[in-house]
Amino acid sequence: MSENRNEGSSQAAKANSDTQTPSHFKVTHPRLRDQLKKKSSKKKGFKFVQEKMLKFQHVIRNQFLQQISQQMQCVPPGDQQCTQTSRKRKKMGYLLSQMVNFLWSNTVKKLKFKVPLPCLDSRCGIKVGHQTLSPWQTGQSRPSLGGFEAALASCTLSKRGAGIYESYHLSFQSYEAYQADKYHKDKNPSGYINLSTSENKLCLDLITARLTQSDMNLLDEAQLQYSDWKGQPFLREELASFLTHYCKAPTPLDPENVVVLNGCSSVFASLAMVLCDPGDALLIPTPCYNGFVFSSHLYSKIELIPVHLESQVPRSNLDSFQLTVDKLKLALTQAKKKAKKVKGLVLINPQNPLGDVYTQSSLQEYLVFAKTHKLHVIMDEIYMLSVFEPSVTFHSVLSIKDLPDPNMTHMIWGTSKDFGMSGIRFGVLYTHNKEVASAMKAFGYHHGVSGITQYKLCRLLQDKEWISKVYLPKNHSRLQKAYSYITKILKDLKIPFYNGGSGLFVWINLKAYLSPCTFDQEQILHQRFRDKKLLLSSGKSYMCIEPGWFRLVFAETHLHLQVAMDRFCHVLAEHKKHEK
Amino acid sequence: MFCLPQQESTAPTTCTGSASTQDMDSGYGDGLQGECLRKPDQTQPKLYGVGDPTATFSSDSSCLSSRGRVIKWFWDSAEEGYRTYHMDEYDEDKNPSGIINLGTSENKLCFDLLSWRLTQGDMLHVEPSLLQYPDWRGHLFLREEVAKFLSFYCKSPAPLKPENVVVLNGCASLFSALATVLCEAGEALLIPTPYYGAITQHIYLYGNVRLAYVYLDSKVTGLNTRPFQLTVEKLEMVLQGVSSEGVKVKGLILINPQNPLGDVYSPEELQDFLRFAMRHKLHVIMDEVYMLSVFEESLGYRSVLSLERLPDPQRTHVMWATSKDFGMSGLRFGVLYTENQHVATAVASLCRYHGLSGLVQHQMAQLLRDHDWISQVYLPENHARLKAAHTYVSEELRALGIPFVSRGAGFFIWVDLRKYLCKGTFEEEALLWRQFLDNKVLLSSGKTFECKEPGWFRVVFSDKENRLRLGMQRMRQVLEGQSQVVEDASPCHAQEPQSQPR
Repeated sequence: MSENRNEGSSQAAKANSDTQTPSHFKVTHPRLRDQLKKKSSKKKGFKFVQEKMLKFQHVIRNQFLQQISQQMQCVPPGDQQCTQTSRKRKKMGYLLSQMVNFLWSNTVKKLKFKVPLPCLDSRCGIKVGHQTLSPWQTGQSRPSLGGFEAALASCTLSKRGAGIYESYHLSFQSYEAYQADKYHKDKNPSGYINLSTSENKLCLDLITARLTQSDMNLLDEAQLQYSDWKGQPFLREELASFLTHYCKAPTPLDPENVVVLNGCSSVFASLAMVLCDPGDALLIPTPCYNGFVFSSHLYSKIELIPVHLESQVPRSNLDSFQLTVDKLKLALTQAKKKAKKVKGLVLINPQNPLGDVYTQSSLQEYLVFAKTHKLHVIMDEIYMLSVFEPSVTFHSVLSIKDLPDPNMTHMIWGTSKDFGMSGIRFGVLYTHNKEVASAMKAFGYHHGVSGITQYKLCRLLQDKEWISKVYLPKNHSRLQKAYSYITKILKDLKIPFYNGGSGLFVWINLKAYLSPCTFDQEQILHQRFRDKKLLLSSGKSYMCIEPGWFRLVFAETHLHLQVAMDRFCHVLAEHKKHEK
Repeated sequence: MFCLPQQESTAPTTCTGSASTQDMDSGYGDGLQGECLRKPDQTQPKLYGVGDPTATFSSDSSCLSSRGRVIKWFWDSAEEGYRTYHMDEYDEDKNPSGIINLGTSENKLCFDLLSWRLTQGDMLHVEPSLLQYPDWRGHLFLREEVAKFLSFYCKSPAPLKPENVVVLNGCASLFSALATVLCEAGEALLIPTPYYGAITQHIYLYGNVRLAYVYLDSKVTGLNTRPFQLTVEKLEMVLQGVSSEGVKVKGLILINPQNPLGDVYSPEELQDFLRFAMRHKLHVIMDEVYMLSVFEESLGYRSVLSLERLPDPQRTHVMWATSKDFGMSGLRFGVLYTENQHVATAVASLCRYHGLSGLVQHQMAQLLRDHDWISQVYLPENHARLKAAHTYVSEELRALGIPFVSRGAGFFIWVDLRKYLCKGTFEEEALLWRQFLDNKVLLSSGKTFECKEPGWFRVVFSDKENRLRLGMQRMRQVLEGQSQVVEDASPCHAQEPQSQPR
């Protein structure tokens, strides 16, 4: 899996690949590179070392995760046993990283060329969205191996502070690289294109036009003062009416059941706080959106138990990745065997990353299952208005006439995806449970939304005429166009993909490009895309158990998609060559 | 006051009844535990006016988790006054008998100025980057403006740097995030009392961090040249005492200008406290949220950012917000300034839960860059109005013969109503607070500031004249009635010495 250039390539092509494919291993000196080509034994040795490193990385990551989750669960300081285990773990992690350090130095000395080291930092495993492999680049200084130890040792941060600090670097390195080096047709044609972050960039013109209309700039005293921590009453009323209309609720929804916070992550974290005690668990079908993992660890100190779904389904009447009650039951039983206290079930509908919707009957089955086992159901419907395929019908949980257990059913929505406004920081909870709604108020202080923003959102959501007649039709047709463009290319490349007509992404299967088909290889491919300035999300970060899946966001302007897909094809072609 | 489990992992908190036998009042008031165990106080709901917490706890428990129930109970009880106010707000025309709120610290004197500025053309601006996921530290354009703004208004010796700025949705979030990244669960931060009581909840809710109180008293004797004076000796003493009980102290919180005292620390005092913190490797969280609300120039307020040399810049973290100085508590905008990049990054990492709309970030940048308007229009007018309101209320108090503390900063006067208590207990203080509320004026009682002497109240004066007059009138009515009660009860007063509940 090291660099294995096509020997017969012309001088020009060579130069081309030198500049454009620094990819994984950049050979510093051209002569050395030639030598290397001959010395295949060295290459094998190198490959071996690199695989070992990946293993170490894996082990350390697991150690670190365990350690973090323990810290996050606030082990009582007096608990000697736990402190000891955690100390042991820390020491082990330290030793392992020392070993890798050693290997690194030797590898470099012996092979005399720059080797990009699998980043140890990614052992943290708490990722919110963008990458799995560390985003160092050839030519940049190698990531500091001692970063984690340094942060831990640094007396300025607490241990959990150091963990949070590390996770930031992990989660946002790619994203920050992208922010600092964005693609621009003229100004920066070699910049990053981000098809990893799920944002709808197709309708910014429409939203901007609406938000700059004069009705948006009104100010009254209430907007600037402390208000109801559940959200300004005028906004909650509007939201109740909005959700009643667009979720097709059988009876008008109650503004008192609405809670407004600054984003769906905040809503999820707070909801988990009031529904679960530290150490409790929630079931979640995977592959799934990974942002909740971070929330669960960091704030709510709960565990997410994956209900693993597979692409290959033995029974022919099931779709791939289909969730069934049997799978839920199995996961629940297994969790109970391990003495986990399962408090609820998290469902994302329309699904992320699958882009599919649950049918009304399956939704009903899951809800009945939850009721039978006294589980809360947290429905994340953040893509509910991004169903772009006219033949697909989405059923909101709020549209169900006789909810099996309304008191334990909680629905989350926000404007980030459906209105392409992730920067506005707005999320909403609708729960029939007054007690939950009222307990959520305590979080308004820490996750509050500016009164000015609340006013603007109210005006926006009030304008149902514009939403239904202008915004949604245009948004859906643009999404569909971008989707067709991407899927045509994927079909031409014979890349299997998955999308059920909703969301902003396709879930693509690149297993054919991995040999062997492992998560390490997935990481390497992911890194190759990144080296080519294309950000995608790899399946691992969605807790997918099969290596080789990627999520590709298509809600981008046509120009960006074109360039991105060129790069995509190029990377795959190159990668195929390397693997031969 | 509220009650939360000390360790979240020992989740089911039943702060009811029998816990009283385990009373382990430490004297340093490591608040939550103490409060929790003192729960029997709350079996007399009428004294505290917090409703009946046991009703919540015994109610159907299938839906909320243990901590969820505690959070809810806390919230319901702590917010009671505020909630009552919201259901019955005073309005000159629509509800003239509604409640006047002199309890919440908000500046309601300058809405006209602010509303003009915030509706100028430059404010209504939308561009794609404002609608998309931001830099979680805050948009760079805003952090640049904040750095310039603080350099100028804090009179920093060298220009402050945008990379040291983190933007969040308010100081509550900032307290929460800082406590989480600086302390482990169960560790403590020192704070002089009386202090802005909501901090207790901010640092506990997510961080599980506690406060170690440095109790100050009102008596002017010997070393105390002013009432409620903080000294390094007191800090040393408390630190030693708390540490000897096995509680690890990680830092010191200072509010300057002070809330509720309305006083400021002198540069010399500041240096002393900072050096104390450095000696013990303590972080210092400086809350300067009232820094531009010093309406008495002679006070000579100095921001910690103005000091020529900070003893320990890596452990000094400054917070500021527009809530108070620009009367926009509903806007939810707060900033952290710290030279410690580890702290800045760790706090930024929590910002995905404490983020602020891009559109509002744009507006704040426009506001803060307008130094002309701020220095020539807004601040002079704001200070003049604050001063007038302050003069009015302090004269009213003098006429009533009520002692008070307030030296010309902040929105409030710290009022000594001890002479209206018969026995000088917190129960009586709570009763008096309730009487004010019944007479439709909301105040904050000393207990919520963890003042150790019963009988102090915080009166907010930054309100419109008509409301202020009515509020003072209602307050006077209650106090006149109360002095009668105290007079009648004076024999009992003579018989029983003051009983301190803690």
